[in-house]
Amino acid sequence: MNEQEILEATAESIIAADEEKAVELARQALDMGLDPNRVIAQGFSEGMKQVGDLFERGQRSLPEVIIASEAMVAAVDILSEALPEDSQSKKVGVALLGTIEGDVHDIGKGIVATLLRVYGFQVHDLGRDVPLDDFVAKAKEVDADIVGSSALMTTTMLGQKALEQKLRDAGVRDGIRTMVGGAVVTQYWADKIGADAYAEDAQEAVTKALELVEG
Amino acid sequence: MPVAHALASGMGGIRTAGDLVARMQLHRKMRLPQAKEYVAEKLGVGLDQLADEVSMRELREDLDIGVITAVPGAAKGLAAKSRIAKLLDIEIASVERLKEKMR
Amino acid sequence: MKGGAITRHRTRMGDGRVVEMSTDEIRADIEAGTEDAADKGQIEPLTSDEQDYILELMTAPYRVVAVQPGNEVVLTDDGSAGALYGPQSSSGTGTPVSREQAIRVYERGFCLDTMEVGHPDYSFRPVKPIVPMEQQTIESVLQSTIIPIYYGAMPNLALYYDPDGPFGNPADFLPKAMIKEAREAQVQAAEVCRRDMIYISKKMAEVGADGINFDTTASAGDAEFLATLQTVEELANTTDLSIEVGMASEFVLGMHGELEYQGKRLAGMYPHDQVKMVEAAGAHVFGPAVNTSTRRSSAWNIARAVALTKACSQVATIPVHANVGMGVGGVPMSETPPIDMVTRASVAMVEIARLDGL
Repeated sequence: MNEQEILEATAESIIAADEEKAVELARQALDMGLDPNRVIAQGFSEGMKQVGDLFERGQRSLPEVIIASEAMVAAVDILSEALPEDSQSKKVGVALLGTIEGDVHDIGKGIVATLLRVYGFQVHDLGRDVPLDDFVAKAKEVDADIVGSSALMTTTMLGQKALEQKLRDAGVRDGIRTMVGGAVVTQYWADKIGADAYAEDAQEAVTKALELVEG
Repeated sequence: MPVAHALASGMGGIRTAGDLVARMQLHRKMRLPQAKEYVAEKLGVGLDQLADEVSMRELREDLDIGVITAVPGAAKGLAAKSRIAKLLDIEIASVERLKEKMR
Repeated sequence: MKGGAITRHRTRMGDGRVVEMSTDEIRADIEAGTEDAADKGQIEPLTSDEQDYILELMTAPYRVVAVQPGNEVVLTDDGSAGALYGPQSSSGTGTPVSREQAIRVYERGFCLDTMEVGHPDYSFRPVKPIVPMEQQTIESVLQSTIIPIYYGAMPNLALYYDPDGPFGNPADFLPKAMIKEAREAQVQAAEVCRRDMIYISKKMAEVGADGINFDTTASAGDAEFLATLQTVEELANTTDLSIEVGMASEFVLGMHGELEYQGKRLAGMYPHDQVKMVEAAGAHVFGPAVNTSTRRSSAWNIARAVALTKACSQVATIPVHANVGMGVGGVPMSETPPIDMVTRASVAMVEIARLDGL
């Protein structure tokens, strides 16, 4: 196989959630002397992006996404060994998530947490019905890059606005990027309260989170 | 919001024959065209009259199957439904329960 | 409104905000919306005539549009008239009326063709301890109303998970890649949910309810859909209840991924496949739900919702009553849904998707 064929095959192995194949291809790429970073970025990661897209279309279940991500982790572990220590994959960022106090909906937030982990974030999930002060305390404790809040009711979304102020009052807002989501939340709301990003679905949450930490 | 839908596309409930058409969907799984045809035949009207408030008001009064305004002595509630059940040749559970109580 | 040579039309975004768009922009959004539906749902896009009709609706300079006489459909409502007496979280106006009074207002003031009684905490699980109160309420309503009266509730499997219920929470397990535990929790919770739904539904049948409405089905994914289908099957075989199944979103979320009903994998099903499962289970009415995207225009949203719903209606053998409430069916996601777009969604759904009701 040439390089392009290897890259396509690595992506396919993730889409197929075939860990054995993914590991085999990772080793093969190294044997061929391919750049490990390129194989990760243009091969395995491309496969993971397609898995995310398939999930948003309903063509992959959440467990299948997780299994695919485990195949990716196994392959990336192999490739990372060949990278100089200072350029080995580090965590992408630290994300703190929670459903706003008074709100107990968390399925969507749980899916976001799952996908962020798949994409390399260190995720701290505070769960549901989370007091705003707990968001602030945990953000400080884990040195969060991103604080994401979910609200599915028009009553609880007000907590997202209050959270922005709490983070400012605690003196940590400048070092954190905030994301908001939930069925009743909109881009307009995010702009209105000064949140850094709004995501309509889980895959968009990942895309926006990656942009926020890279930007 | 229900009012907006009612104005835009609703049959009109007991102002017209909406509840009757609905019953044929619920009880016999009839799709709309079939349900409308069935009710129109039972009422002896054309399809275009089923959602017409004026002709249906008169018909509902004549058949005493319940009208939207509060007419003293007109069939209401279970009385209206028992007449509807007979008219449409269906069983309405609450009416059947009343019959059991009366035995 | 005119701006030079290009007419700009007052329309809205999916979050309800007013925007101005040209005819070409609206047309492009309609096309994009129907293409998105065709792509995601693997269905036929709307025809050019159908898209032209939506364009006509979206550019009509009237606040309210309506169907042609003779095309009216059955109108039902869920939520037990909570819009009157409920709080903001139920999109309610806090009007101090009882449930029975509220339902009478819907029958006589709003002219609905059917209505329903439901618990203010509109899920099956909270109903179980207070079933006699619900029975007494619907029994009383049935004495005085003429329109068909359902008992309605949401399966809401999430209430059976920690912290509200006795089973572990998949939303906690899955981020930790504990797939086996997540799946087991869903299967166990679904079985208890199924038993509760059957128990409550039969209690309503005992007092003469016309039907039972399973609302926002599959909100917690494929396990919840399966529990509901199994419940429908039992009720269809053992009661005379009319059974309606209304969905939570346009595809069934694969929280489990491997659950099947009658040999068909439930995860990922779109409305045209969902309706076949519901029919097979024995239900009388199916309510597809297509979610509104707040960042897209109403034209995009309505075209998309109509395309997906039309595909469902075309294959259905039971009545299809599409969900056209806040944030679904092309209606903007806004606490006060704007009447102009509500009527446009309503008409487009009826005239193009050939629905049996809303």
